[in-house]
Amino acid sequence: MRKASPKKAPARAADPALQSLFDVHEATLPNGLQVRLLENHLAPVVSLYTFFKVGSRNERPGITGISHLFEHMMFNGAKKYGPKMFDKTLESNGGSSNAYTSHDMTVYYDDFASDALETVLDLESDRMRSLRISDAMLASEREVVKEERRVRTDNDIGGLMDEELGTLVYKAHAYRWPIIGWMADIDAITREDCQAYFRTYYAPNNAVLYIAGDIDPKKTLALVRKYYGDIPRGPVPAAVVNAEPEQRGERRSVIRHPAQSPAVMIGYRGPSARDEDTLALDVAQYVLTKGEGSRLTRSLVYDQKLAVSVGLDWSWRIDPGTVLFFLELKPDSDPQKVEAALYAELEKLARDGITERELQKALNNLRSDHLRELGTNNGRAHALGNYEALLGDWRHVLTLPSAYAAVTSDQVKAAAAKYLVPERRSVVTLLPAPTEA
Amino acid sequence: MASRKSRPSKSSAPRRAAKAPASSRKAGTSRKPAAPTRPSAAPRALTFPTLHDSVTSSGLKVVSAERGPLPMVSMRLVLRAGSANDPAGKHGLADFTARLLRRGTRLMDARAIDEAVEFVGASLGVGVGEDNLSVAITTPAEHFAQMLGIIGQLVREPVFPESEVADARERALAQFANDLDEPSVIADRAMVRALWGDHPYGHDVGGSARSVRTFTRDDVVAYHRERIGPKVALLVVVGAVDPRRVAEAAEEAFAGWTGGPEERRVVPPLARVAQAGRVVVVDKPDQTQSQVRLGGPGYRLGHEDYFPSTAMNVALGGGFTSRLMSEVRVNRGLTYGIGSWFDAMSADGIFAVSTFTKTESTREIIDVSLGEIAKMRTGGIKPGELRDAQAYMGGLYPLRTETNESIASSIADMRLNGLGDDWVLRFRERLGAVTPKQVAAVAKKYCFAEAPAVVVLGKADAVKKQLKHLGPITVVPASEYE
Repeated sequence: MRKASPKKAPARAADPALQSLFDVHEATLPNGLQVRLLENHLAPVVSLYTFFKVGSRNERPGITGISHLFEHMMFNGAKKYGPKMFDKTLESNGGSSNAYTSHDMTVYYDDFASDALETVLDLESDRMRSLRISDAMLASEREVVKEERRVRTDNDIGGLMDEELGTLVYKAHAYRWPIIGWMADIDAITREDCQAYFRTYYAPNNAVLYIAGDIDPKKTLALVRKYYGDIPRGPVPAAVVNAEPEQRGERRSVIRHPAQSPAVMIGYRGPSARDEDTLALDVAQYVLTKGEGSRLTRSLVYDQKLAVSVGLDWSWRIDPGTVLFFLELKPDSDPQKVEAALYAELEKLARDGITERELQKALNNLRSDHLRELGTNNGRAHALGNYEALLGDWRHVLTLPSAYAAVTSDQVKAAAAKYLVPERRSVVTLLPAPTEA
Repeated sequence: MASRKSRPSKSSAPRRAAKAPASSRKAGTSRKPAAPTRPSAAPRALTFPTLHDSVTSSGLKVVSAERGPLPMVSMRLVLRAGSANDPAGKHGLADFTARLLRRGTRLMDARAIDEAVEFVGASLGVGVGEDNLSVAITTPAEHFAQMLGIIGQLVREPVFPESEVADARERALAQFANDLDEPSVIADRAMVRALWGDHPYGHDVGGSARSVRTFTRDDVVAYHRERIGPKVALLVVVGAVDPRRVAEAAEEAFAGWTGGPEERRVVPPLARVAQAGRVVVVDKPDQTQSQVRLGGPGYRLGHEDYFPSTAMNVALGGGFTSRLMSEVRVNRGLTYGIGSWFDAMSADGIFAVSTFTKTESTREIIDVSLGEIAKMRTGGIKPGELRDAQAYMGGLYPLRTETNESIASSIADMRLNGLGDDWVLRFRERLGAVTPKQVAAVAKKYCFAEAPAVVVLGKADAVKKQLKHLGPITVVPASEYE
């Protein structure tokens, strides 16, 4: 379910350690491009992030993986700076760049020496205004992405299991397919598909710009207007329909693949990022797997010696996401036994909740990690963008620690009882198969 | 950089593959002071905190730097007790001992240590490299003295309970087995062996299943007694804490610490790359992609070739516009990631290329890569290309001064390798002074003047017939590297 009314940023106190770091200047250009500027002169460098509101959730079967393939194409030439010129110009001016694609968004960043600011704005606005997609570049980049798929998925056990789990957890929603796309779809995407995609999702009104570091906000905003101001507004992209039906019982799948040990990946259908329960699940995640002394690590790895490692990934998403457990086992492990031990821990959490000390420990670690994330310009710019994209307002960067502090142990218990139950569960088991000669 | 995920996630993550492969068993200290400069206009000033030195009564050297604005502190105790010190037949003992330090001390069992550190929101990491073993904690500033006390306990009074030793051994053996399913990890391991042979740097930091299987509590106790002590250690503390308090807290944490060697063990340089001119094919029949490594000799830490080689490597295999990236990935679509780098350690170093491609184009990617390296060796670099490389690194170098962790790491590098306290501040200037002639000289030296060692991990049946005339081929099963 998409939330009809996204919550406003909670009216909570900003963390005092953060208040001084986050004097953010905001603006919206007439073409809809939103800008957030954050001044900091600790080092003569700047990070610029561009968040586009498009990810694999905006795709359809037949062109799965286009968001990610397109992300690659954004580096392959535009009207003013042709093929290879984006990287060449940026690097020779003391900068570097990269990008990533997620289920919900596509994110580009540049780190650079502060005197290259204008050059970077010229480069970035050029590709937003006038990307050029040639058949030759697309053909070459398609091969690069196929190698990426081979390295991340086809020849990687975690990748294979993750891909399988997505198809179990989701029946209707676009979260069903992998971000990188199915191999045959990567092969099938055409130049026309890419161009339509660019027109639909890469307009300034579908983007937010974050610039953090050694800048003068006033002058920087003037430069942003100069370089981006004339890019025409685009259509408003169609809303994504979440047609995901209710899950009515556990789903299971087995992968047979050459491997030394069995492995287990388990996903529970969770809430969407903006749901109240999200923060309680964050606390639960920390209690269960953060650190050597966390419940699952202590129980499954050290006390019962059933697993080599246990990981939990509760990644916020726009639409309801997945609380994902990954268990690395030993060659002689019995996956069923490991599952039973995990479920016993989750039942205990849902039944008895957590102690006050566990709650305090989780809060201390959530705050430490939050502060660490904000230690660099790149981290600060990314955090502003990430919270704005997923929670609707960058101010969550300031208030998140106090929002966590308001979480009670009863809420954590209730969230575990609501989400970590067999009816919401999908399980992928990998069993070692002999290598085919 | 970038992938903000701890685990297998569906995020297709950044479009650039990691350059230097990180071995899964190698945590901790970065041995790579890489980086940059703007030779043109005077670069904007860097800020680097003032260093304060003290020595505890037990002889431990302490360096601290006060730095805000975040109320956090990073500290690391670096010991000259890395895997090059592993006794014969006991490869991996340094790493194994390091992991066990936190599994119990005279005053606290493993559970109490975990709780003390993790409750306050601090994180403890133990890392081992070829030269060094380090224990690092990042903590909210108000708990810094207590956390320093815990580091003191870990290195001074570990008790190595018998049951913990047995469990750690079992976990390590399971990990070695599971590593066989990680193509890049096994390829890296094979490369280490192909380059260094029986040199002290020639085994995986974690050792092997064969050696770890033999570890006893006595081995661990002996390693701790003989290799870990104040005379071969350096404590670095960076963050929101007054240097005077650091000196006081260090005295409290390390007073009366004894043991370990008088000075670090001297490791000899590498006589010759073990498998130079030879090809090792590591067979993993289920693969659809080959992992490829090429390597030859490099230089030791602190060597005068560092700056010209660094500039050269940016142009050859550093950024997105490097020659290798351009020819192999952009022009031919053969890979998602390719990079070259110099790996310098205290005794010696190597120069290597790492990449991967679908099984069918294994030979092509090797030939194109070797061609680019040969071109650099014979033709050197154009002045404009060098300027671009210098600008690239110069512009980005200040990123290394952004966090307590990166500053602590720079301080440790400077002090342990005698780079001088002005290393960071003068880095861009020194890099900017490199000339095309100097680059040509190091290119002749390091760009595989002698045929490199070649490692290919993949489907041997399909790969082997592609590899004619590269040198004698040995095919080994992946299990050879367990």
